[in-house]
Amino acid sequence: MPSSYRDRAGSVDGYGSVDRGPKSRGLRIFSHFGLPKTLGHQVKGDIHPAIVRLALQFSEFKICGANARCIATLTAFKTVIQDYVTPPHNTLSRHLMTYLSPQITHLVAARPMSVTMGNAIRQLKLEISDSDIDLPEQDAKDELCQKIDNYIRDRIIIADEVIEDLAVKKIKDGDVVLTYARSSLVEKIILRAHSLNKQFSVIVIDSRPLLEGKTLLHSLTSTVPPIPCTYALLPALPSLITDADVVLLGAHSLHANGSVYSRAGTAMVAMLAKEHSVPVMLCCETYKFSETVMLDGFGKNELGSFIPKFSPDTPKSNSNLEVLNPLYDSTPPSCITAVVTEVGLIPPTSISSIPLALGKTTL
Amino acid sequence: MADLQIYESYQRLLQNEDLSTPLAAILALTEMMERSTAGTMFELLNELKGSAEALSRQSPNPIGLNAGCELFIEFITLFPHDAASFSELKTELIRQGQQYAKQALTYRAKIAELAFDFIKDDSVILTHSYSRVVLQTLLMAHKRKRISVFVTEARPRGMGIKTAEMLTAAGIPCSVVLDSAVAYVIEKVDFVLMGSEAVVESGGLVNAVGSNQIAIIAKAANKPFYALAESYKFHRMFPLSQYDLPSHNSRLLSFQTPSGNPRTPSGRRPSESSLAPNHTASIKITQEDIARNNPDIDYTRPDLISLVFSDVGSLTPEGVSQYLVGMFAG
Repeated sequence: MPSSYRDRAGSVDGYGSVDRGPKSRGLRIFSHFGLPKTLGHQVKGDIHPAIVRLALQFSEFKICGANARCIATLTAFKTVIQDYVTPPHNTLSRHLMTYLSPQITHLVAARPMSVTMGNAIRQLKLEISDSDIDLPEQDAKDELCQKIDNYIRDRIIIADEVIEDLAVKKIKDGDVVLTYARSSLVEKIILRAHSLNKQFSVIVIDSRPLLEGKTLLHSLTSTVPPIPCTYALLPALPSLITDADVVLLGAHSLHANGSVYSRAGTAMVAMLAKEHSVPVMLCCETYKFSETVMLDGFGKNELGSFIPKFSPDTPKSNSNLEVLNPLYDSTPPSCITAVVTEVGLIPPTSISSIPLALGKTTL
Repeated sequence: MADLQIYESYQRLLQNEDLSTPLAAILALTEMMERSTAGTMFELLNELKGSAEALSRQSPNPIGLNAGCELFIEFITLFPHDAASFSELKTELIRQGQQYAKQALTYRAKIAELAFDFIKDDSVILTHSYSRVVLQTLLMAHKRKRISVFVTEARPRGMGIKTAEMLTAAGIPCSVVLDSAVAYVIEKVDFVLMGSEAVVESGGLVNAVGSNQIAIIAKAANKPFYALAESYKFHRMFPLSQYDLPSHNSRLLSFQTPSGNPRTPSGRRPSESSLAPNHTASIKITQEDIARNNPDIDYTRPDLISLVFSDVGSLTPEGVSQYLVGMFAG
């Protein structure tokens, strides 16, 4: 046993010295997650300043969260489209996408693309290729920007309002609502329930390294009157879950088999809630749906070990220690009672029928 | 006034043995449309929604009729407006409503035919309370196969006894089981056939109280649990738990502490001597008290249900929710 351990350590050292320098042992089975990048100011090719800035904000986690990232990306693309000039002997509908592609590549280099961004960009590509060739350039650009605004309004802002309406009905007087980390949508739902004078309290469960729950706790307790809140870290969950009446969770994306890709730790909360028969409501707009199938958190994930925002007492990687911070995990559909979307409450297993019901072939 | 009228016509329609609550609600709404003086589609829809709300307010258990109202209003909203005048359109809508109700009465035979394939010769079936579609299925199965049936008593309404009487009259071997004896009898049973008040969006079931515990017991004993439901009972509602049902209120299952019956000090059980005979005699709990303090319906989770037989096919609980999403989410 000791010899085999040494063998493995030796080979890892060899791997590390080649790829990551002597300081890091390498990621072995997690290497496919992609290393978090410390993006410098080097910019390859013709990248629009708005995109350069956005990429830096992404890589430093200044803009974080599926909705925020999607809105920021689309807003930046609006500037890019307005500043774009079609070269001679070309049409906007044919050429604009070739101009946008490197911009997207630059964004993805900063942080892997979120499903929301992917869906929005796919829709944008569709709109660009559909734009009328005979339209004057400025009109075509204005029309595209209008379509981007509509997308943000319909798929995110209005959708959120509908979801708030639906989810608030499930919070009753005297309930204890449990949530994990911070989802912008869950925050809005809780604040709405509070503005409707419902008497309830909230348990905010949080976890290192991001400790996003603190932000949520701050906004919930700064209301007048403040919402009664309990703040605890993930290890304290088993003793608190029995008090909860309903669990509200946000999502990064939702997959065709009903599994939920969300902040690391969500799966644990959902599983424990199921174990204690506490209903779990997942709040998620339909534009977060992905037609891929996700079976576990290993096939696709993101690492966040070098994020500067992390608290300073986070252990640093060295030659004997590799800090591994997957940012996401996958929650199986069996642990989710209901998914609250703008088309209603649906069980996670029926997710795949929504695009068909909406009469769309793509999301 | 109009609100009272619609409830009256709903009650009158329910007198008909064949009509279930969603169908009676649909017919009550068509009757309302005949009386309506609305001049535009918008007005008519508003009136319909108002009447549906009035019905649901006045009914003690509105889940079934809500499903019917929801279906009918959805149908009216999506109906193509290509008639020459509004009055013609209205007549057409009324005709469609009545035709649907007529058509819907044939659904039970269709469901019986579907469920029949799952009934093997010499089956022992457990059913709960009284359901027209289960009864029709059992009567049909009896003509071609040997079956015997256990029926639960289904307190507090005791509707299981009605089922047992009708089955016995038809010559089906039948035995009434106490609600508390389901776990005792389940080993002898091949499968459970359950009617329903509504099938909800989670794929679960809302039915006479006791259905949930039968489903749990059937699951524990690994017996299939089949629900029978006409498609007009599919309801866009998602109860997260028993207490999320619209019929639940805080009076249900509250703790009764009548005056003159102080609670015993905690940690010390009342000794024999402290329970004077005249003291126990002064407390009488009647069946009515119990019934008033108890729910009429409960919610059965989808993971306890094997299949839902309906006129649109034999569906898994996931299939039900997909059907509902397809029907209403578009």
